[in-house]
Amino acid sequence: MTDYTLETEAGRRESLRRMLTIREFDTKAGQYFADGEIPGFVHLYIGEEAVAVGTCAALDPDDLISSTHRGHGHCIAKGLDTELMMAELFGKEDGYCNGKGGSMHIADVESGMLGANGIVGAGPPLATGAALSIDYQDRDQVALAFLGDGAVAQGQVHEAINLASTWDLPAIFLVENNRYGEATPVEKQHNLSQLSDTAQAYDIPGLTVDGMDVTAVAEAVKEARKRARAGDGPTLIEAETYRYRGHYEGDEQNYRTDEELEQWQERDAIDSFKRRLIDRGELTEDDFEEMQAAIEEAIADAIEYAQESEFPAPEEAYDDMFSESVPEIEAFAERIRTDGGSNGGDA
Amino acid sequence: MAHVGLIVNPSAGRDIRRLTGGASVVDNYAKRRVAECVLGGLTIVGDPPSVAVMPDRVGIASHAVEEAPAELDVESVDMTVEETAADTRRAAERFRDDADVVVVLGGDGTSRDVAMRVGDVPIVPVSTGTNNVVPMPVDGTVAGAAAAVVAAGLVDREAVTYRHGRIDVRADDVSGETRLSGLATVGITDRPFVGTRAIIDPSELLGGVVSRAHPSDIGLPSVAGCIEPVAPEASGGAALRLGPPDATARSVRAVLAPGVTTTIGITEHAPLDAGASATFDVVDGVIGADGEREVELADATVTMTLTDDGPRLVDVDATLEAAAEAGILIEER
Repeated sequence: MTDYTLETEAGRRESLRRMLTIREFDTKAGQYFADGEIPGFVHLYIGEEAVAVGTCAALDPDDLISSTHRGHGHCIAKGLDTELMMAELFGKEDGYCNGKGGSMHIADVESGMLGANGIVGAGPPLATGAALSIDYQDRDQVALAFLGDGAVAQGQVHEAINLASTWDLPAIFLVENNRYGEATPVEKQHNLSQLSDTAQAYDIPGLTVDGMDVTAVAEAVKEARKRARAGDGPTLIEAETYRYRGHYEGDEQNYRTDEELEQWQERDAIDSFKRRLIDRGELTEDDFEEMQAAIEEAIADAIEYAQESEFPAPEEAYDDMFSESVPEIEAFAERIRTDGGSNGGDA
Repeated sequence: MAHVGLIVNPSAGRDIRRLTGGASVVDNYAKRRVAECVLGGLTIVGDPPSVAVMPDRVGIASHAVEEAPAELDVESVDMTVEETAADTRRAAERFRDDADVVVVLGGDGTSRDVAMRVGDVPIVPVSTGTNNVVPMPVDGTVAGAAAAVVAAGLVDREAVTYRHGRIDVRADDVSGETRLSGLATVGITDRPFVGTRAIIDPSELLGGVVSRAHPSDIGLPSVAGCIEPVAPEASGGAALRLGPPDATARSVRAVLAPGVTTTIGITEHAPLDAGASATFDVVDGVIGADGEREVELADATVTMTLTDDGPRLVDVDATLEAAAEAGILIEER
């Protein structure tokens, strides 16, 4: 298994490699979306890489995560395959969800990724449910929910944290405060300046960390994991971060200034971690360029894989949705198979 | 008219020690109320000082201005807000020129940021963070009252204030020379990264220099204080080198973090005079000042020099005692 903790030199290099992979993956996703090759929407994670990687580096491989609409980074940090991810973005049948989920719905339960989610704040209930099953089955795991600053004000998020706190479940709630809920600045969404202060309402620890420092995020998650596994209940971590791209690709971003973006880019998590590894003698510029080149090649392969994959067949549109057979859907699929849908595909 | 500066750090008190130790959370509502108490305390004198408050984006300063007692002339400092420690430093620089006293609400880090920029203006550091050595756990109203008495010059300033020490650090490693300063303590940990900044595990402390020491302090000053106390106003301090308790001839039981007592092995405890230095070799670690990890180092030589030339602090008890003795607080009919 890949060494992926910040405690070792190899693990630190792997953490850097995953941050770079996220940036390259999302840079290319943005380009191919602009070219019209990717359907739907893409919400890019560029700028926030240290949060996903710091978190997943501190978790055990068997731990579970739930994600958001901005989930590519979480998937890569958790170890999902970039070819299957890219195929999913392209809506192709070789994707993680046979191309029927797209960017906002990548899930791979085997990798511990319970799902990205188009509904704001829908991840925490999944994590609380997963934590309940961990507790019930006495498994050595934790469940962590990524959520955004906007999600903190959602009712279901309150329900999820409240229940996890009340039952001392092995859960972690990680708020990615990237300063904007879509176009609304965080101070216009909340009466609190630090979203970690909400933890007090649940009588659980809440803390704020620098989300642009992978070492800070990892340290906080590691301690929260210890607490969760000790049976002491959940922790709420707020990671202060920033998305370099708009809320979605095509967002005009007239709600923020170039100066603000530049200020955050000066603290870029990848640049800073790379420099620190070089200072420590654990990386050279040549190593970095080699790493970057290998990642570019891997993502180019992922694009090619996605492009060459087929779209799912129309009659499979409702497959994998219901555990029991639904006669109307069976009839729909049969009609599509036999007449290609020319007589109407209504189920 | 006397003039008082008020600095409230909106982000103090939310670090990882809420998870790893017994630190409590001080939210912004609580800070706002303490700030209002400070303003209330300033009215203890007949002719209260004017006040300038460091602005912030979370409403602490604006509420303080709005809720201030009617007899106080309170305004917000006209400056840009970055929501970082730079705000504190910028406000302190402003107060260096025009304030008679500065009241600081925050932790040791906030006090240090103010101290390095405020010159000779006396400060009243009030604790709202954790792991505090310099800031006092004093009621805001009482702190405000003492600030007003000193600002108005009603008692002998020299008698009721004292100079705190300071530790200046120079570190040389592959990335060049780094300098930083601490007020009460500069410590070295063998954790490789600054991470969440707080010192989480006392066993990672390798040593450092303190400018004051007392068993009732917290952190490295507590360790040194278990061996030989040094008063905050006293000259000099101590250098400490620590080791595993089972490998050192002497160990102490000290308070390293809120809610945590630890056995700390002492390899060396050496009293250090003002002007003297202690040198440490750091293979892979971080130096921290006043309870926060600050600078990552690899194969470094770190020189820590003690100086008595730190900030001037107001002794709140001594101030109000002197005021009472001078009859300032008495109104006769």
